[in-house]
Amino acid sequence: MQLPRLTSASKRTTLLLYILIGVLVLFALRLFYLQVIRHGHYTYLAQQTQVSKLTIVPERGKIYALDGNQPVPLVLNQTVFTVFADPQEVEDKNAVTRAMSEIAGGNVVDGYQERLDDEELRYVVMGRQLSREQAEKLQAKKLAGVGFQKGSRRDYPEGQLGSQMLGYVDSEGEGKYGLEGFLNSRLAGKQGLLETVTDVRQIPLTIGDSDTSRPAVNGDNLLLSIDRNIQQQTEQVLKDGLAKAKATKGSVIVMDPNTGRVMAMANYPTYDANKYAEVEDYRLFLNSVVNEPYEVGSVMKVLTMGAGLDSGAVTVNSTFNDISGCTTVDGERICNVEEDPRQAVATMADTLQYSLNTGVVHILERMGGGSVNQQARQKLYDYYAGRYRFDKLTGIEQSFEADSILVGPNSGQGRNVRYANMAFGQGMNLTMIQTAAAFSAAMNGGTYYQPTLVKGTIADDGTVQEQAPKVVATGVLSVGASNELREMTYQGRHKGFFGKLDPAGYKIGGKTGTSQIIDPKTGKYSDDNSIGSYLGFGGSDKPQYVIMVRVEDSKLTTGYAGTVAAGPIFNELSTWMLSYLEIPPKN
Amino acid sequence: MWRRNQNTVAFAPSATLGPVAHTVLVALMIAVLGLIYLTQVTKTSTYGYQLDNLETQRSELLAERQDLENENARLQALERVKNSSVAASMTKPASTEYANN
Repeated sequence: MQLPRLTSASKRTTLLLYILIGVLVLFALRLFYLQVIRHGHYTYLAQQTQVSKLTIVPERGKIYALDGNQPVPLVLNQTVFTVFADPQEVEDKNAVTRAMSEIAGGNVVDGYQERLDDEELRYVVMGRQLSREQAEKLQAKKLAGVGFQKGSRRDYPEGQLGSQMLGYVDSEGEGKYGLEGFLNSRLAGKQGLLETVTDVRQIPLTIGDSDTSRPAVNGDNLLLSIDRNIQQQTEQVLKDGLAKAKATKGSVIVMDPNTGRVMAMANYPTYDANKYAEVEDYRLFLNSVVNEPYEVGSVMKVLTMGAGLDSGAVTVNSTFNDISGCTTVDGERICNVEEDPRQAVATMADTLQYSLNTGVVHILERMGGGSVNQQARQKLYDYYAGRYRFDKLTGIEQSFEADSILVGPNSGQGRNVRYANMAFGQGMNLTMIQTAAAFSAAMNGGTYYQPTLVKGTIADDGTVQEQAPKVVATGVLSVGASNELREMTYQGRHKGFFGKLDPAGYKIGGKTGTSQIIDPKTGKYSDDNSIGSYLGFGGSDKPQYVIMVRVEDSKLTTGYAGTVAAGPIFNELSTWMLSYLEIPPKN
Repeated sequence: MWRRNQNTVAFAPSATLGPVAHTVLVALMIAVLGLIYLTQVTKTSTYGYQLDNLETQRSELLAERQDLENENARLQALERVKNSSVAASMTKPASTEYANN
C-alpha cells in the first residue's frame, strides 16, 4: 500500500508543532530553573518584602513601697505622646501653633515654628511627653498634617520621695543611678518578637505558615522594704535637722537589724526624679549612704568594743588608767575630747559614754598583749574585714556602691598609729550602709544579714511573693558579746544627755561620732569643718530599728557635730519610730 | 453470547469528551480550587485585621488603666495628703497608752 504524501501544509504544521514543543520545553526548563533550582533565593526575596520582624516592647516593672503592710506605688509607667507635623501637609500653621501653645504648654519643643516654615522637611517634632489628655485635646482640633506617636515614660507620683535611692530612667529607657540603674535589666524585662507576613501598614496577617511569635516578658514589679511613711518622716526630720544645724548636706539610713531590710534611705539636698533633666549638679544623683565612704569617727568605738569583748581582749569589767586623758602610740599622743572625766580607773562603759579614744586604744593594746603591735593590728583587721565585712561591698541594690578604704595590718608607714586611729573611726573610710549593716549584726546577736531594699515581687494579679532575708554570716560576735555590747551601748546613751530625752520603757542605745575633714589644700585635718554622725538602735526587748545619721558641714560652733547636728536627728526619728511601729514600752 | 438477566441492548453514548474538553474541565477544576483557596486565605487574613483591632483596643484600655493608676497614686501621694485640709485639721495625740494583752 502506498503511503499518502505529505503536503507542504502538514509539513509546516509539524514544524510549528516541533517549534511549539521546543518553546514549551524552554519554558519548562526556565520554570524548573526559577522554581526549583532558584527556589531558595526567590523565597528569601519574597520573605524580605512580605515578612516583617516586629519587636514587642515589654512593660518596665513598677516599684512599690510599703505603707505599713500595704503596697503603694512609688514608680509607675505613664503613656506619653510626641506630637509632630509634616510641613507639606499642614494647611493652617497659625492654627497649629495656637493650639500647641494653648494645649501643649511646657511640652513644646523650642523653635519648632521656624522649622514648620521649611517645606522641605517632612517631620517636625512640635512637642514631647504630652499627657493623654493633652493629646486628645489636640486630636480633637483635627489639624491637617499633625500626627501623634505614643510612648512611655517613668512616673514618680511621690515626687522627691526617695529619689536618690530610686534613681531615674533616661529618655533612652535606661535606668540610671539607684535602684533603676542597679536593677535595670530585671526591671526592663525582655523584648518579644513577632515575625509574620504583614500588609503595607505593617499590620500582621495570619496567613504565613512559618510565623514566629515570642511574647515579651515584662519586667519584675518590685516590692521594696522601704516604708513610705518612714521614708517621708526621715526626709522631713533630716531636712529640718540640717536647717537647725546650719548644715548643707546630710544622709540617714533606717534599717531592720533583724532582717537587713532597709526601711528608709534619705539624702538632702535632693531632686525630683520626674524632672531629672533639670538637675544641674550631678552629685545630687548620688546616694551618699552607699556612694560616699567617709571617716565615720567615734561611732566605730562601739564596733571596736564588740571586737574587744568577743575576742576576750577586754570584758565589761575591764578598767584602765585615764588620769592623763591621753595615751601614746609610737611617740604620737592620742588624747580624748573635753568631756573626759579623766579617772584613774576608767571602765569600758566610760569608754562609750564619754567617747574615750584612750579606751579603744587600750582595747587595741590588749589585743596585742599590752601594746599596739602586729598582733593587735591583725586581730583588729580580722574583725573589721572578716567579721564586719568592711573590705567588701554589701551588695545592696544600688548603683555605684563605693569601696571602703581599709588599710591592711602590714601596709604603709606608721601602721600602729594608723590602727590606733582606726580603733576610733579615723584613718579608714566606710560607707554608711557598711557601717549600719555591721552595727546591726553586732546588736542582733551576731548575724550579718544582707542589706537589701527589695522585699519581694508583685505579680500582675497583686499577689506578693516575699523573699526571705539572706543570712550572709553568723557568729560575727558571740551571742554573749553581742548582748553585753548592746547593754553597754544602751547604758552609754542612757547615762548621757540624750538618754534623758528618750521615752521611758525602751532600750535605745547609740553613739555619736565627729570626724574632721582633711583640707584638700593642706592635706591635714581641719578644725573648720567636720562630719557629724550618730549610730544607734531602738526597741523594746530587742532592737527593732537601727538608724545612722550623717551631717556634713555644720556651721554650729557650740559643740561636736555628732552631738549637736546628727544626734538630734536620731532622737527625733527614734522617738517617732517607736510610735509608728507601735512598740509598747516594757513595764 | 446471550445469557439470562443480561441487558440485550447496549447503549453507546452519542457524544464523547475529547482531549480538549478534558483539558478545559481540568483547568476549570483547578481554577475553582484556586478560588476556594484564595477565599480561605482572604478569610484568614481578615482574622488578622480583627486580631490587630482587638490588640489595639486592649493596649488602649491598658494604657488608660495605667493613666488612672498614675492619677490615683498622685492623688494619694504623701506630700499631697500632708497639705490637704483633712491633714491640717488633725492634731497630735497628747499621749499614747498601751493596753496589756
